[in-house]
Amino acid sequence: MKHQLTVAVKNQSVAVERFLRVARHRGFRLMQLQLEGQDELFHVKMTVDSDKPIYLLTSQLNKLVDVHSVDLHTLQQQAI
Amino acid sequence: MSKTMTGAQMVIDILVKQGVTDVFGYPGGAIMPIYDALYGAPLKHYLTRHEQGAGFAAVGYARSTGKLGVCFATSGPGATNLVTSLADAMMDSVPLLAITGQVPTAAIGSDAFQEVDVLGMSLSCTKHSFMVERVEDLAEVLQQAMHLATSGRPGPVLVDIPKDIQQGQVPYTPWLADAQECDSTSMQELKAANTLLKNAKRPIAYVGGGVQSADAQDELMAFLARTQMPAVSTLKALGSVLPEYEYELGMLGMHGTKAANLAVQECDLLVCIGARFDDRVTGNLAKFAAKAQVLHLDIDAAEVGKRKPAAASLIADLKMSLPQLEGSLTTEEWREHVSQMKRDYAWRYDYPGEKVFAPYLLNKLSRDMPKQTVVCCDVGQHQMWVAQHMKFDHPSNHLSSGGAGTMGFGLPAAIGAQIARPQDTVITVSGDGSIMMNIQELATIRRNNLPVKIVILDNQRLGMVRQWQELFFAGRYSETNLSDNPDFVQLAAVFGIPGQTITHASEVDEAIDNLVSSEGPYILHACIDDKENVWPLVPPGAANDEMITENTQ
Repeated sequence: MKHQLTVAVKNQSVAVERFLRVARHRGFRLMQLQLEGQDELFHVKMTVDSDKPIYLLTSQLNKLVDVHSVDLHTLQQQAI
Repeated sequence: MSKTMTGAQMVIDILVKQGVTDVFGYPGGAIMPIYDALYGAPLKHYLTRHEQGAGFAAVGYARSTGKLGVCFATSGPGATNLVTSLADAMMDSVPLLAITGQVPTAAIGSDAFQEVDVLGMSLSCTKHSFMVERVEDLAEVLQQAMHLATSGRPGPVLVDIPKDIQQGQVPYTPWLADAQECDSTSMQELKAANTLLKNAKRPIAYVGGGVQSADAQDELMAFLARTQMPAVSTLKALGSVLPEYEYELGMLGMHGTKAANLAVQECDLLVCIGARFDDRVTGNLAKFAAKAQVLHLDIDAAEVGKRKPAAASLIADLKMSLPQLEGSLTTEEWREHVSQMKRDYAWRYDYPGEKVFAPYLLNKLSRDMPKQTVVCCDVGQHQMWVAQHMKFDHPSNHLSSGGAGTMGFGLPAAIGAQIARPQDTVITVSGDGSIMMNIQELATIRRNNLPVKIVILDNQRLGMVRQWQELFFAGRYSETNLSDNPDFVQLAAVFGIPGQTITHASEVDEAIDNLVSSEGPYILHACIDDKENVWPLVPPGAANDEMITENTQ
């Protein structure tokens, strides 16, 4: 299932690398990525695809120190 | 005031002010300024003989005390050698700070001598990592790194510091102590949790490593005392549930006790306390505790529902959440049933052969060793025998590489534990495969005159792999024969460590006496039967009640 997320991360490339690594490792395929710098944050719009429920990704992203917020605009949001 | 100091001096200054007294490491080109600042500083550095040894010594130090472990390594290969210990600390949630030297900022990205992208490499094996880009940032980064390593769910944090940053001048500013963060976790699910507890007929407490991380053994035992709920432990939790607790069933999982695994399969409520449904615990996940609802207590929200859905969860420090559980007294029928299984499936040590029986040896060692002994182990058959046949009364007394399963962990972890707890006996139990993985650390034992005791259970095989080859690979023993290992007693003697070899069951008791009563380091080399297997065993893909035992294979 495809999900669209907006992730606000610290505006450092390593912060983006880190959360993209988490998405890949936890089994979410990257479909689209758009990055915009704003103040001290990057706002990253991404679409991922996976058979796994999306909370398995958002809960991991929320743990990352450089991630300020994760917003889910999923087409079909799944509850825990 | 215009006092200045170098970045390297600031690193040492901050560690000292934060209360760090011991660090483990290995110097090299890109970290030389830090080693220079260390010279004469009120911070004791322990030189290991490989960076992995330094990493594991820091892990052993942290796990045996609950304090932050700190290790240093240089750039490139120094840092790559640390990686295994970072991954190990990540899997087992160990508070670890790794400081690595890096080539000078101007050389980064030029494929300079001993340059590796350590920040990139660290992404998958640390809780967080930093590369310091400006000397002005150093104090804040280090403070944040130490806080991250020790707070919430602990873990390894790496700080990579380019050489020019270490050499840069920075104004000295009095360093501010950390503000204590208060736990603001919502306890809104408490009501649901207590309803689950109230309605449960056959509850089980499934206890994990989180109890040690939260320093919540007292709260756990109080919860068990008021509910009389049977308890099973993960490998990392062993020691959290006191051995005298009547309904303590030991370890669950692949090599768990029969009573623990059967009880979990039958339970209707699984109270998961700081554990994470590891595959070695659950066996076939779909069939794991299939009749049970899960009440999940953890500080890490990402663990809830990761492997098994939870009917209710409390995302909080266990020290806070456990006292709020209003479990009522577990029914007598369930307690009696579980007790009966505990009696029926108790371990037996009346081994008929003349050879050394490893479970007997370890059980004897467990009974004879002083209270508060720290036992470290490596990975493989001996590790499972330690978990099955030795008793611990605190998880900081049993150091075992759980999530990562890293061979070579035991000897350096024992070194770290002995340095952290000089008054306590520290014993490392290893196998003839694992001990060779960090054997160079015998030199660290000698260098520091550490009284670490070493037990090698030698079956001249890579035993656990051999066991699987026997059971699941048609006896095709590919590359598991280690009969060409050196004479371990002779090897230890070269490092000034006395010891003995035993080959017969009749020699075990005296040998354990010799080991336990030795003042300094000692090595007990016990030759065991190469065909001995670890039982019970839940085969891959099977449910935990489908374990095979010695008699059923």
